[in-house]
Amino acid sequence: MWRSVLDYLHLAVAYMRINIRAQLEYRGAFFSQIAAMFINDGVWVVFWMFFFTRFPVLHGWNLKDVLSLWAITTAGYGLAYGVMGNAHRRLAPAIVQGELDLWLLHPRAVLPHLLLGSTIPSAWGDALFGYVVYLGFIRPDAARAMMFVALSVVVAVVFVGLGVMTGSLSFYVGNASTLSDQWRDTSITFATYPPTLFEGKVKLLLFTLIPAGFISYLPVEALRSLSIANLFVAFTGALAVLAAGVAMFYHGLRRYESGNLISING
Amino acid sequence: MKQAEKYLWIGCTAARSNLAYAGEVIYRSTFIAVILYIFMRLWTVVYAGAGSQRIGGLTRPQMLWYLVITEAILMSTPRVAAEVDDDVRTGRLAVHLIRPLSYVCGHLSRAMGDRVVRFGINLAVGAVIAFILVGPIPMSLPGLAMFLAVLPAAFLLDFLGMFLIGLCAFWLESTSGLVLIYSRAVMMFGGMFLPLEIYPAAMQPALRVLPFASMVSAPGRMFVNPSFRHFGEAIVIQGCAVVVFAIVVAMVQSIALKRLFANGG
Amino acid sequence: MSRGVEIRELMKNFVLTRWSGLRRRVSDVVAVDGISLSVPPGQSVAFIGPNGAGKSTTIKMLTGILHPTSGEVSVLGFIPWRDRRRLAHQIGAVFGQRSQLWYHLPPGDTFDLLSRIYSLKREEFVRTRNVLIERFNLGSFMNTPVRKLSLGQRMRAEVAASLLHRPKVLFLDEPTIGLDVIARQELRNLICEWNRNDGTTIFLTSHDAGDIEHVAERVIVINHGQVVVDDNVAAVRRKYLGAKILRVQFHEVPRPVLLPGVTVLCSSEYEWKLQIDTAITPVRRVTSAVLDAGSVADIAVEDPPLEEVIARIYCESRREVPS
Repeated sequence: MWRSVLDYLHLAVAYMRINIRAQLEYRGAFFSQIAAMFINDGVWVVFWMFFFTRFPVLHGWNLKDVLSLWAITTAGYGLAYGVMGNAHRRLAPAIVQGELDLWLLHPRAVLPHLLLGSTIPSAWGDALFGYVVYLGFIRPDAARAMMFVALSVVVAVVFVGLGVMTGSLSFYVGNASTLSDQWRDTSITFATYPPTLFEGKVKLLLFTLIPAGFISYLPVEALRSLSIANLFVAFTGALAVLAAGVAMFYHGLRRYESGNLISING
Repeated sequence: MKQAEKYLWIGCTAARSNLAYAGEVIYRSTFIAVILYIFMRLWTVVYAGAGSQRIGGLTRPQMLWYLVITEAILMSTPRVAAEVDDDVRTGRLAVHLIRPLSYVCGHLSRAMGDRVVRFGINLAVGAVIAFILVGPIPMSLPGLAMFLAVLPAAFLLDFLGMFLIGLCAFWLESTSGLVLIYSRAVMMFGGMFLPLEIYPAAMQPALRVLPFASMVSAPGRMFVNPSFRHFGEAIVIQGCAVVVFAIVVAMVQSIALKRLFANGG
Repeated sequence: MSRGVEIRELMKNFVLTRWSGLRRRVSDVVAVDGISLSVPPGQSVAFIGPNGAGKSTTIKMLTGILHPTSGEVSVLGFIPWRDRRRLAHQIGAVFGQRSQLWYHLPPGDTFDLLSRIYSLKREEFVRTRNVLIERFNLGSFMNTPVRKLSLGQRMRAEVAASLLHRPKVLFLDEPTIGLDVIARQELRNLICEWNRNDGTTIFLTSHDAGDIEHVAERVIVINHGQVVVDDNVAAVRRKYLGAKILRVQFHEVPRPVLLPGVTVLCSSEYEWKLQIDTAITPVRRVTSAVLDAGSVADIAVEDPPLEEVIARIYCESRREVPS
């Protein structure tokens, strides 16, 4: 079992190297995309700075808390789609255009292999932003910094799961790209606002259909409380999202392999 | 009169082609629902915490309707800079220049046609959602008139800004970075999510002078809390801004064209 | 454990859902209708048929991408859809219209990645890679980005990439599409060589009759989900590929040409389109007769389109089979 985990790690490293190398062939575009995303994220930090100057507390959350929220979300997002770029927007088109066949010809488990196949250049801007904001603005101590690193991996797992879940729609609903994107973007948007804003049924929604709760709320709680128990809870939540995505994918794959996906608009 | 008719026709064609995709636009604009819901919750918490009915002179419903307007404006931005950039890089600019149509005005008509339709759709969707979330806000006929009067200059200013950036294609390898910075500046300094009155006091004078407020905040304010004084101010500032931008655009365009004719494209 | 490919009574039905507006029509489509084949290891097979004949469906079932409705398949002793990953270590695939080489990087980078995907041991990989570079003549452009390569160079690199893990079966789908005459011949020779020297079983799908004639030893024609011809290349060539089409344009009205085995398909005042039965009269004789018939402006000799040939095969085979 360990041999195969190591084997897949080697594979991931090989894909990372080739993906980055391919991006560096056009380094101007690569670095400018990173910079652009950095600026994009920065605008939100400025917004919250203005906001908290005027309204110092929001249901128990202050500027530092929201910045931590943004930092962990962008860091996880960047990590997820920097390493597994095909989890971002490529899954739905790959299913619809028959690209899956090419991946099925390789001696690898389809999903992890497929996800590694590309990188999203701007995601590296997000990752950089998350770390810069956390280490630069929040200035954590060593323990918090380590917790942050661990949690960025946890959040990355959620993002990969989310991408797989939303992309797998295309196994069932034809070309669901727009729907997938809306679902994913809605989840991410909710994840960037303090969870204390929402209550009751909406909060339930944010821990089920729109997994914003797993993206940022649990991880931020773990970060604030610096508790291993909360870290464990966040990790379990992330695994749950990933499991849901993986289940959807492999169930859809069975349909794909029976070839009954053909649907023509007359 | 004939010239004006031509531009009107261009605008109407652009508008009509946008209506053809109305279905998709409505679908995407449902994303507005997410933003509006989240901000409704945000303002609910803030107003409860502040313990007062008004913040920055606006009630909670007015705050949300302000967001409806600014969102509608910002989500209807036409791709002027990218189109001009493209024209310059592919040499299509030269083709445009031999037509009996002013290059700027041609783009302006098309951009306005695009914008009016998309703004209308976004506004309609946003209004429905805001109505469901916080109910209506008090409105008056003069207020509505003031709002409508401020819109054209707002759209025109934004157009001139983007056109200017597109012209920079003559000198820059890529204008997409500038476009991004410009759009974020409009968001930030135009008061997209927060009315400018809420920004730190030290910034107020600067914000009032920058053109971004005229593009976003002015229409937003006129819709939710119109006043003759603010209207007067807004019109004056918009007027000056338009004049300044128009002069700059004319200057830059003539420099660019000289460069075009000298180098042959 | 068989080392070849065994197919028995393979069937595949699809459920086709057609939407017209809001109404849904569901129909059953038979893509593969009872195919039975046996391919010994090391054989080179051309697997041809018109579009929609069931070729790609069959190949997908051989490679484990698709599950059959019924029937049995054994490839190198594996059941493809059950042992997909283990089988994948032993098979390779080349698609003429879809590249597996990373476009912006040199082929060498893709080769390194493939060594990881297939978990190849370093020394073995390096040895095989060097052999392939030499045999396929890739040395001059191993460090050039793929986007800068000619199509011929790219296809050589593609085929080499598919052989890095020394597969026992190689599937080739339109490998010579878009290539010029020289590049096409080069690629065919390389594939043949590899088949002969390494014993790799070849499954070739192509619309190019030349590919079939030069690379394959056995031709299997599929139509309407069934095997209609299964014979060696020489026999198929004799029976069905013996026709050539000659088009000629004259500067002046030509003298008539009468030769046995030559049929006029269509003609106008200055142009002829002739069909030549090469079993009766060689192309050489017809060409010189045509050149003597008048001042020639343009002349071309082509294979009849494969679709036509297959249609003819199918019609003839239907007639041959007792009803």
